[in-house]
Amino acid sequence: MPAGHGLRSRTRDLFARGFRKKGYIPLSTYLKTYRTGQYVDVKVNGAVHKGMPHKFYHGRTGRVWNVTKRAIGVEINKQVGNRIIRKRIQVRVEHVQPSRCEEELKARKVRNDEMKAAANARGEVISTKRQPEGPKPGFMVEGASLETVTPIPYDVVNDLKGGY
Amino acid sequence: MAFIKASKPRAYFKRFQVKYKRRREGKTDYRARIRLINQDKNKYNTPKYRFVVRFTNKDIVAQIISSTISGDLVLASAYSHELPRYGLHVGLTNYAASYCTGLLLARRTLKKLEMDEEYEGNLEATGEDFSVEPGESRRPFRALLDVGLVRTTTGNRVFGALKGALDGGIDVPHSEKRFAGFSKDSKSLDAETHRKYIYGGHVAAYMGTLIEDEPEKYQTHFSEYIKKGIEAEGIEELYKKVHAAIRADPLEKKTAKPEPKQHKRFNLKKLTYEERKNKLIERLNAFNSAAQGDEDSDDE
Repeated sequence: MPAGHGLRSRTRDLFARGFRKKGYIPLSTYLKTYRTGQYVDVKVNGAVHKGMPHKFYHGRTGRVWNVTKRAIGVEINKQVGNRIIRKRIQVRVEHVQPSRCEEELKARKVRNDEMKAAANARGEVISTKRQPEGPKPGFMVEGASLETVTPIPYDVVNDLKGGY
Repeated sequence: MAFIKASKPRAYFKRFQVKYKRRREGKTDYRARIRLINQDKNKYNTPKYRFVVRFTNKDIVAQIISSTISGDLVLASAYSHELPRYGLHVGLTNYAASYCTGLLLARRTLKKLEMDEEYEGNLEATGEDFSVEPGESRRPFRALLDVGLVRTTTGNRVFGALKGALDGGIDVPHSEKRFAGFSKDSKSLDAETHRKYIYGGHVAAYMGTLIEDEPEKYQTHFSEYIKKGIEAEGIEELYKKVHAAIRADPLEKKTAKPEPKQHKRFNLKKLTYEERKNKLIERLNAFNSAAQGDEDSDDE
């Protein structure tokens, strides 16, 4: 029989629940609130069959564009051929988690604002740009002893002894 | 063959998935809980209140609870052990007492939310099905009945508490199918029977039959009633007075409790991260100095 290409094909492991995590899902998933414009991760929960996204979207992150009674509309980028389309899917809240992708950015913004305000008070101008990691600093090698190595002259007789 | 005690292999335990803790304790029905707590996403952070009724052997607990990720928050609570304050000293777990507890809880929450003038509820308990009408300024306070693990049969005491809360002025979506006095044959609620239960009429009737037929059993079974001087005829009057007292002053009274005494510690107090790090540094220093200080290494 030929391979099927149904909606949930090849998802035996992808949609499986974790080891010893089967059954009821923790209630905090239902208590989270989502606002439009927030970033969310799509992670399918195999225990809930309604409102499942297609397997392509498992592991993708997108923005919320719609909030309904039990589900959320998420806008995700998908490459189709030579272009990227902004696809809008409706997903139940059990298959969605709030994303932490902006967390570091927000924290940095707050810190930068504080540093800028402090520098402003002192009257100096600082740059809050992130710098890439540079080369490691130089150091002196400790406990080194010198050993001079010279090549030995080629001895025809000895080297050809094994046969040729 | 020799008898080998059946024992579970190690693999069994390694693969065993425990149920949630409250399920193991047999206290929470998660299937029901999910459905009660789930709030529409387009209502964002609006709390969804549950009207929780639980019975113990000697007490009735009625609470209004909303849920958050950090835990459930109790908005208001009423216990049947508070009913002595309103004049009811005996029969604290019967249908009539659950009605009183539900009524007390409803009046208490409405008073806390300053809605008690607008939503009087049903002043005269007739046993008929009563639903709150929306008032002028605010919509009625809505809660969903959370029964717990109780078997919801007709005439169950949780529905007595439900009736009390409804008559108190809280909006709880319900059907009259499970009130005491609903007849399956005629598919309607007999308000007279329900009213009898609300005012303890079933208890009064039992008292009457026992006095006639088995006076000794009456003495043992209703000993507390006899002590307080409550008789079968006076029960309805008693409950009417309790209802009126509840409506007059529903707010709870905080009793002054003595400070809990400090107990002697039998186990060591856990050290903080800082304390543990310092201890390690001290130990390393002592070790280094004891080793005759050959290594002139820094404190690391």
